[in-house]
Amino acid sequence: MKLIDALEILKQPVPNEAPKMQVYLACGFTPLHLQTFLAAQLRIRLPQRQVGINTGLFGDLTGNIERVEPSGVNALVVVIEWADLDPRLGIRRLGGWRPSNLPDIVQSAEQAAARLQQVLLKISRLVPTVVCMPTLPLPPLFWTPPDRAASLELHLHQTVSSLAASLSEQPAIHIANAQILGEVSPPSQRFDLKSDVITGFPYSLPHASTLAGVLAGLVDNQPRKKGLITDLDDTLWAGILGEDGVNGISWHQERHTHMHGLYQQFAASLAGAGVLIGVASKNDPALVEQAFGRSDLLLSRSDIFPFEAHWSPKSESVRRILDTWNVGADSVVFIDDSPMELAEVKAAFPELECILFPKSDYQGIWDLLKGLRGFFGKPLLTEDDSLRLSSIRNASAWRDSTQGSVSSSDDFLRAAEASLSFSLAREDGDARAFELVNKTNQFNLNGKRWSESEWLKFFTDPATFLLAVSYEDKYGPLGKIAVLMGESNDRKIRVHAWVMSCRAFSRRVEHQCLRYLFEDLGADTIVFDYQPTSRNGPLQEFFTALLGGPPVEQVCLSHELFLKNTPPLFHRITKAVHA
Amino acid sequence: MPDLESRLIKCFSSVFPALMPEEIQVANAQSLAAWDSLAAVTLAAVVQQEFSVQIDLLDLPELDSFAAFQTYLRRLTARSGADRSQ
Repeated sequence: MKLIDALEILKQPVPNEAPKMQVYLACGFTPLHLQTFLAAQLRIRLPQRQVGINTGLFGDLTGNIERVEPSGVNALVVVIEWADLDPRLGIRRLGGWRPSNLPDIVQSAEQAAARLQQVLLKISRLVPTVVCMPTLPLPPLFWTPPDRAASLELHLHQTVSSLAASLSEQPAIHIANAQILGEVSPPSQRFDLKSDVITGFPYSLPHASTLAGVLAGLVDNQPRKKGLITDLDDTLWAGILGEDGVNGISWHQERHTHMHGLYQQFAASLAGAGVLIGVASKNDPALVEQAFGRSDLLLSRSDIFPFEAHWSPKSESVRRILDTWNVGADSVVFIDDSPMELAEVKAAFPELECILFPKSDYQGIWDLLKGLRGFFGKPLLTEDDSLRLSSIRNASAWRDSTQGSVSSSDDFLRAAEASLSFSLAREDGDARAFELVNKTNQFNLNGKRWSESEWLKFFTDPATFLLAVSYEDKYGPLGKIAVLMGESNDRKIRVHAWVMSCRAFSRRVEHQCLRYLFEDLGADTIVFDYQPTSRNGPLQEFFTALLGGPPVEQVCLSHELFLKNTPPLFHRITKAVHA
Repeated sequence: MPDLESRLIKCFSSVFPALMPEEIQVANAQSLAAWDSLAAVTLAAVVQQEFSVQIDLLDLPELDSFAAFQTYLRRLTARSGADRSQ
């Protein structure tokens, strides 16, 4: 992006009623064009927000972070450069580069990094924080020839890497990926020496623009895709199963089909991170079954659910997979080596991301894998990620068991031997709960999506609480499936957010949630911040049954009415309370 | 050189969005409150990218009006034309 384009973007009017988004850009240099580019990139990503950017004082990065007022900021962006660790690592201060100065420079950089770590850990508990480690080259202060790394230079890099690694363990801190930045902004073209000396702004315009794009992407943490549907022949493996046979398909170096093996390995990595993997293939199901019996496949049969292997149109297979997963087409990627199949599926599901598998194109497959990481990458893995696929299998088994019999009858629910685990907390440290609230549509009290800053701020009020519910029955665990956020005053509870995964429908978990509020939190009345949405029909049906009529905004439920309309509950309950 | 003028007006307009086109042509650092050191550096960077030229930041003090930018750019483009013809 050129600077003039960024300024033009910022000139575009934003509706007055648009919610404000205040970002604090903390850096030790003059923010100048980085501020402009960041504002423009955020405007592109968040067109319905009034984005404002605050900055601090020149040359005082740590002090700037310390002075951030959390209540007035939605996101903090911290851009560290070497001079922030010790001014002698920049070029504006002439503090001495004698060999005898260097050990002291390294030591003071370590101390500055430790202080930065401290202030970042503190602020990130209240404000979601994006951090970028130094992007500029170190000045030529070491006595070794330029092509030989100096020991003290390596110590400086180690200090920065340790700081980044330690910060990255915090759920609310997002570290800019240096490798990706290196691909889009070549290191040799980043530094503008003259601008640094004269204006205090050290970046070339292209680097400032690119860096701003990366930082804006981290501020605007968009939900990722949930599932990958893959073709088999000439995609997951090389060859046509029906023609080449089970032993004729390959993904190996000696057959020059190694890139299919890499794709399998990548898909297994996605499955391990909780991404749903399904198969849509025009094939003989018996042969597919045999092929997945091969022990050298890198993606195992258990990583995939469901298999749609038959001769029906691919769009039908995709429809069935989406139904089984109970996710929207916009959350899924479909990969096939046939442009015709992709077009057929795309016509049926325009929101689905359909990607051609570029067989025989090594670089194309490599780029595909990197692109898929972009679709499916997540800030951190939770225990529930490893349970997701098995819980969908279990939910499917549950549906099969209840179909044609006495659906969801008391007998069936009793026989399921279900147990619920309630976890009550007064703070925000539950990444899975945050994820669930922000991606659940059907059983969702109001459809509100919470930003990280809103989430962190909500729990600063001591009256607030977070109730997370995990479920397990004889079919297996579903993991954390419901989250309820509210505030409790005297004997009245106000519920701000309530979501439940569709995998847990028909199990009366929602009734148990309310029973917990009435009986364990001692509520007489519960008021819900209810809003109808185009997708929260299941929640509306639940309220209609419980209230004896369709819900209206600000639903109010008394303990008496709850007891009157609640069916028998059979779950075994365990409870935990966290400070 | 009307092309140079209209492109320069576009640059000024992006940095000083409140100015009308006719005000831009007579704009100068003394009469325009928004023309501070930050705006001067931003304007130079915008012009640099728009015209694919290198503006020496040490020349910023003399680039204090629309007319000064016009003259500066004409000099730069004439010099680069002369360089090419050698």
